[in-house]
Amino acid sequence: MSILGQIRTLVAKEFLLEWRSKYALGGILLYVLSTVFIVYNGFIRVTPPEWNVLFWIITLFTSVNAVTKSFVSENGNRQLYYYSLADPIAIICSKIIYNSILLMVLNVLTYLVFGLVTDNPVRDKPLFFLAVFLGSVGMAITLTFISAIATKARNSATLMAILSFPILIPILVSLIKIAANALGIITDTSVNQDIITLLAIDAILLGMAYLLFPFLWRD
Amino acid sequence: MLKHWWKILGALLVLYTLIAGFMIPLKPGIQEVTPTNAQAGDNLSLAITGYNSHFKDAKEIKAWLKYDSTHYIVGENIRDSTQTLLFVDFKIPTPLPIQNESRRMTLILTNEVDGYSLLPDAVEVVPMGIDTIMGQWGNTIGGLHEVKGTTFPYRNILYETIRNLFFHVPLWFAMIILFFFSTIYGIIYLILGNSRNDHMVLSLNQVGILYGILGLVTGAIWANWTWGEPWSGDVKQNMSAVAILVYLAYLVLRNAFDDYEQQARYSAVYNIFAFVALIPLLFVLPRLYDSLHPGNGGNPGFGGEDLDNTMRMVFYPAIIGWTLLGAWMAQLARRYMALKHAALEKDVDF
Repeated sequence: MSILGQIRTLVAKEFLLEWRSKYALGGILLYVLSTVFIVYNGFIRVTPPEWNVLFWIITLFTSVNAVTKSFVSENGNRQLYYYSLADPIAIICSKIIYNSILLMVLNVLTYLVFGLVTDNPVRDKPLFFLAVFLGSVGMAITLTFISAIATKARNSATLMAILSFPILIPILVSLIKIAANALGIITDTSVNQDIITLLAIDAILLGMAYLLFPFLWRD
Repeated sequence: MLKHWWKILGALLVLYTLIAGFMIPLKPGIQEVTPTNAQAGDNLSLAITGYNSHFKDAKEIKAWLKYDSTHYIVGENIRDSTQTLLFVDFKIPTPLPIQNESRRMTLILTNEVDGYSLLPDAVEVVPMGIDTIMGQWGNTIGGLHEVKGTTFPYRNILYETIRNLFFHVPLWFAMIILFFFSTIYGIIYLILGNSRNDHMVLSLNQVGILYGILGLVTGAIWANWTWGEPWSGDVKQNMSAVAILVYLAYLVLRNAFDDYEQQARYSAVYNIFAFVALIPLLFVLPRLYDSLHPGNGGNPGFGGEDLDNTMRMVFYPAIIGWTLLGAWMAQLARRYMALKHAALEKDVDF
């Protein structure tokens, strides 16, 4: 089977697994809802700049929790079985694609719920969703790759956070700036430059994940 | 002895940086003047406080206030001087060349011992309500003294902290160089294996973290003096703190494996991934945001007159010196690791 065919099958497998173990999906959805409500109850009235930062922090924590399980939840024997069946590149690509879609769904959900309970301050919706899209992809690439590293170590969950947070900061900083434009907090004529920077960061991280993953799976 | 030339060179250059960086005096300059404002038509008696200056020794002191490039006021009645305090009278003419507008004038002072010095925006002059013709504008100045000597430039915001350029900036450059080579050794380890390369990665990162922390500390001291706060929320400050967090995470990751081969391979992969992820953080993002650092956000770069030949004479050796010293420290750390590793493999208690 070609790599593309393998990727398609593996993505379908991820969705099927997710659908069969509904408790995991339900768990992460509840995580989103309860985080949003904790933040809402703490703040009640949220100004647009706060909304922007809070949104991306909720997104960050949700993403870390959602992606951690992508490698960690599968035990070593099953992973070995996958590697014997498919190309490792196809495995990491399928996980990145699946996690990107998962994070996009979760982030849009966060946006809907958080926008519902607070006054939704987003003015330029296409720009905001572009930020959500690029952010989800960037976080999915980084977190999937880091989870592949962390899964082999002790204390995977703690390691996920300390390994990925500093690396996610460039993405988050760009996201908060682009979203600030979408919220009308700042008007920046160079927002295109930020989008290009974010795209470049995503591309670099994807390239690194592609190049370095072959060194990770062999054991 | 011959093969240790780079260690000797590194130590000598750092020693040279320390001695030259601290011993070479600042060029004489003007620290402040009082009063700082005047009205057209005043007979302004200006008290000038000098820095490292020799007013008392000087025989030929001249002073001007510069309104613009064709309007100067000549200082008269220069008197009552100690080495660092001088009184000069200026008769400010009226009307001003540009009426109805206040303007800050630059003070120019020269004598044969100290050479000439400037204080930009020294005195603000406001126009008088009624214009009576009095006073005289000179349209050129002449007879500035050039004094040859080995001195660092005098800058009004920096004063003696200009010497921090030989520590803060080279430590930072050296850190980037060390992290760059640790990434290279990481790649070599992944391709060729050999625990020597892995130990090289770890030791270079350890020294890099040390340099990073020293760079932050020297930066914070400098920021406290020039920007008013040790942590000014400057984008480069924040980003460099993040860079150190990444490498601290690397150290944590290393300790989270039981098997040495896994530990070396996984941490090498993270090391490469992290370095590449840091490139936008350190080199791209700070350019998109306003920074207080020179050369960012519309600030003039540290160059031109600030980085004069005397500064360069210490600055470039400092970069080489700190880098070589870092490489030496990393080599010692690597040897210690190799001994420990060998002892572990032979099951010797170390």
